Amino acid sequence: MEGRRIGVYVCHCGLNIAGTVDVEEVAKYAATLPSVVVSRDYHYMCSDPGQALIKDDIKECGINRVVVASCSPRMHELTFRNACQDGGLNPYLLEHTNIREHCSWVHEDKAAATEKAKALVRAAVKRVYYHEPLEVKEAPVNPNVLVVGGGIAGMQAALDIANGEHQVYLVEREPSIGGHMIQLDRTFPTLDCSECILTPKMAEVGHHPFIELLAYSEVEEVSGSIGQFKVKVRKKARYIDESKCVGCGVCEEKCPWKVPSEFEMGLAMRKAIYIPFAQAIPNVVTIDKDLCVYIQSGGKKCGACIKFCEANAVTPETLLNQSDQIVELEVGSIIVATGYDQFDPSVVPQYGYKKYDNVLTGLEFERITCAAGPTGGKILLKDGTEPENVAIIHCVGSRDQNYHEYCSRVCCMYGLKYAYLIKELTGADVYEFYIDMRCFGEGFEEFYKRISEEGIKFIRGKVAKVTDVAITEEEKGKLIVVAEDTLLGSMVRVPVDMVILCAALESRSDADKVASLFGLNRRADGFFLARHVKLDPVATPTDGIFIAGCCEAPRDIPDTVAQAEAAAAKALSLISKGKITLEAAVATVDEAQCQGCGRCEEICTFHAPKVISKNGVMVSTINETLCKGCGACAVACPTGAISIRHFTQEEILAQVGALIEV
Amino acid sequence: MAEFEPQIIAFCCNWCTYAAADLAGTSRVHYPPNVKIVRVMCSGMVNPIYVLKAFESGADGVLVAGCNLVDCYYLDGPVKCDAMFAILKKLVHILGLEDERLRREMISASEGVVFARVVEEMVEGLKKLGPAPFKVKKGAVV
Amino acid sequence: MNLYEIIQDTKTHYCLECGKCSSICPISRYDPQYSPRVMIEDALFGFEEELIHNHKLFSCLTCYACQLKCPSDVDYPLFIRKTRELAAAAGEHGDYAHSGTLQSLVGLMARSSIKQRRFEWFSNSYRTSESSDVMLFIGCSPYFEPVFEDIPVRTLDIAEASLKILNSLGIEPLVHPDEKCCGHDALWLGDMETFRILAEHNAAIIKESGVKKLIFFCPEGYRTFKLDYPNYVKLDCEVMHISEFLAQRLETEGLRFNEVKKKVTYQDPCRLGRHLGIYDAPRKVLASIPGIELVEMEHIREDSICCGTSCFTNCDSYSKQIRVGRLVEAKATGAETLITSCPKCQTHFKCAMVARGEEKGPEVEIEVMDLANLVANAIGG
Repeated sequence: MEGRRIGVYVCHCGLNIAGTVDVEEVAKYAATLPSVVVSRDYHYMCSDPGQALIKDDIKECGINRVVVASCSPRMHELTFRNACQDGGLNPYLLEHTNIREHCSWVHEDKAAATEKAKALVRAAVKRVYYHEPLEVKEAPVNPNVLVVGGGIAGMQAALDIANGEHQVYLVEREPSIGGHMIQLDRTFPTLDCSECILTPKMAEVGHHPFIELLAYSEVEEVSGSIGQFKVKVRKKARYIDESKCVGCGVCEEKCPWKVPSEFEMGLAMRKAIYIPFAQAIPNVVTIDKDLCVYIQSGGKKCGACIKFCEANAVTPETLLNQSDQIVELEVGSIIVATGYDQFDPSVVPQYGYKKYDNVLTGLEFERITCAAGPTGGKILLKDGTEPENVAIIHCVGSRDQNYHEYCSRVCCMYGLKYAYLIKELTGADVYEFYIDMRCFGEGFEEFYKRISEEGIKFIRGKVAKVTDVAITEEEKGKLIVVAEDTLLGSMVRVPVDMVILCAALESRSDADKVASLFGLNRRADGFFLARHVKLDPVATPTDGIFIAGCCEAPRDIPDTVAQAEAAAAKALSLISKGKITLEAAVATVDEAQCQGCGRCEEICTFHAPKVISKNGVMVSTINETLCKGCGACAVACPTGAISIRHFTQEEILAQVGALIEV
Repeated sequence: MAEFEPQIIAFCCNWCTYAAADLAGTSRVHYPPNVKIVRVMCSGMVNPIYVLKAFESGADGVLVAGCNLVDCYYLDGPVKCDAMFAILKKLVHILGLEDERLRREMISASEGVVFARVVEEMVEGLKKLGPAPFKVKKGAVV
Repeated sequence: MNLYEIIQDTKTHYCLECGKCSSICPISRYDPQYSPRVMIEDALFGFEEELIHNHKLFSCLTCYACQLKCPSDVDYPLFIRKTRELAAAAGEHGDYAHSGTLQSLVGLMARSSIKQRRFEWFSNSYRTSESSDVMLFIGCSPYFEPVFEDIPVRTLDIAEASLKILNSLGIEPLVHPDEKCCGHDALWLGDMETFRILAEHNAAIIKESGVKKLIFFCPEGYRTFKLDYPNYVKLDCEVMHISEFLAQRLETEGLRFNEVKKKVTYQDPCRLGRHLGIYDAPRKVLASIPGIELVEMEHIREDSICCGTSCFTNCDSYSKQIRVGRLVEAKATGAETLITSCPKCQTHFKCAMVARGEEKGPEVEIEVMDLANLVANAIGG
């Protein structure tokens, strides 16, 4: 540690510091400390002449460590680091100590404040002694982007990036893109048809020269880090030749094997060979291997599709020999837009979902009102008649300590939309059972007002149960909705023909797997956690991985689109910069000291340390692109093999040991 | 005789409590000068040895303060800090240290006033307790 | 003491440069940069500065394997200890394990005005007496518990087992609330000021309590009291390791144990074995427990291999390799349990088994148990 030449600069900050701290005295004191060769005080260290003092002393006095005592390093550390760099000194050879916010501004006693300032400077001098030059490294960014999830969020993000002429890989696990939005009938509050606004976007995605669509595929493995991720995608076998299939649908017509359609929420049937819905992108058939009798019988039975396919897309070869493919991608950033699951109301037994025929969820009702849906857009009961009265129950699974405490944000509005549609299409009486009406978005309140004026009955109260046990003549053959009207303070029993449950939006059932795949964190409610809820809402703890849409929290379409565009902008800004600066103050391993116990690997939230075998000896290695320098591994390390650059134990102990004069 | 002035060393995370102390400064919230802050990037970076060293070097009280879990820049630094702190508490307890001398707080960046209040409370409490038992240097026996 | 005096004192100048020390040294076996012979050579050439600033000075385990093989009877461990005094005076220390927490705790214990809370772990089921003439030395065990929580090592279990053993022999020992670290690590790290304070403190409280016999379950404390304290303080009582005490009672009182069916192997702790020559007592105790089958490792007694770490310093990759090597040897015996009679051996072995990463090293998992715990189990009740 020979040859330390420390320069100390104490700032007056006008009277901000000098008003309470005897700055000259502090500078004089600093001059007496070991290794200090220059100690100065100046009115405004952050000014150009102030910075010039440092630069000149580096050149003229040969100082090789700098202490600035002024304001908060959160304010001007960068300024003084740059001054050091301009003066030809590594910027990490600066120690900035705070004698304004933490001293002159909060203390009144001049003598005590001056003593404290001296102690802070003394500790900074001790610490800077151990500072080492650090190299700020850069890494290139691969301009390709992976978007996971082909709902509205994923599609929008993919289009924004692809329109900037950068390659996008869009992975969707279902046979077609479209997500939940393509299942919806109309969208609140404008009531425009979801399909009409979405299908052009889907087509654009399908044809975009810069988008490679990997539908019916799932991400299996993600490695690497920001700028250079390597991703393995499993492209599931459709058991047909995609390049030949024209989506004519003849095979589907001829196929004799049926199951309830996932897309139609089980309200209609689909075949073993199927296109989930008419406007599917890519418009090719998929074969449900478990249902296909030809595949299950090893080619001995059926084979109707083979016979009727004129394009030769379905052949015994594709049916019997096709297998999943693993596609390897290299991308610089990833946007996760994996959406949500609808809460299953059958876990709330008192609402009778799956027990009574005419108790439906929101998504089921969407299919019923949709012109392309199972009833051709007619609102019908299971027996084929029109309902005379319908109850809409809000907050099913949301705002409920027993299920999800959060508000699902869209149910009030789609509940109103249903009321409007029912009224318009059937003239039935509609009852909205709500706790609070939350109509906060653009045009929402107006829509609420409009619906209220159309004779919809609003009952404020959480429904206790839905039952078919009638106690009056009028209730017979009906579903009776039992609730307290909290505004009237009385119990109500409303007999209806149909009950629609506004089921919560919840995190995907496999969100845990997705989280560990991409290094995301989940909130207590299961949704993915943003880097900062307010100020960094699409970034995640893993640099280069962004989130958008309902995988982050329940939200409506406009918010989802805005967030998707934000995520795209993040990815684009990364591409446009073309390189990333790596944090210099990161963990480093002394391999001779390391015992490869793996505590570092276990404690790190960012998967930066990894224990590997080197010549038969287990040692930890740090992936510097993943390390954020939080220091948890260094605390966990039992041998002292790991240290955090710029925050080494030696540095901090020197600083701590010097704070109190003995 | 002058009143006993306790010495406090505070380890504050860069993103929250250090920023809270900055805010106390910009809002000119006054508190006693007995506290000196050591800036760490994360409360989870605080090694038990830093706290022991503070006591070794004459501190009467030590504050370890950082983000709330929801604010943590490193996501779960406070959890790691709590785990470290639990071990540390046990050690200094066996050494015979009064519990009030070692304090753990979560103070977010907006809580300048809270930071000042915590310091005031500690100073007041430590004045009542008197100097830390480690203060007497090595030498005298039994 | 200067380097010249140290050389004379430890007979280092008799060194023949035969290299036997380096060939027997467990560290040199793995660390190519460490050689006792070269260290001695440096000293004999008078490279004092290089020697005291060489951080490998703190690698020596002071296990005494070299000294027993040295044809010139050079006391290399003592040479190391004395040279470390010079190094410590120059502000040098080795690489502390656990960030130096344990060293700091010892330093804080040496502050005179502390009032420890050492016995909150203490269960009422054991009988102790303030007026007993037998004292059980608990040492640093209460401090080890929190530090090694995650391994997990419960050193206080050994203390409790020792109490149970003494109680079953009708002894209600004194456990002293003001006891402090014996100073072993401070002594071997060259921190003489701390060592002296601790030695003087412990000697004073023991004198005041009037005990006649001091029993240890930790061989380090035992060695320190038996061999080192007499050079600094006056101690008017007999000191014993619990295994010695038990072996003695086996003869005089014909102790009977319950059957414990176990195939075990035994690790000779360096302090108990090579430092003090106690190899038979623990083996005698093992042999007296019905059902215990002792299968010895390849290296035992004088040839035993150290548990790999000393004074929680320079606990590095090489230390780990020594421990792994020893555990592999223990497993090779086919024993299900590795018995030792030193809490630190247990700690270091268990620590070597920690493998939290995804990729695992060699399989070294084996139960490690203190002799006192095994005996306490055999007492039953």
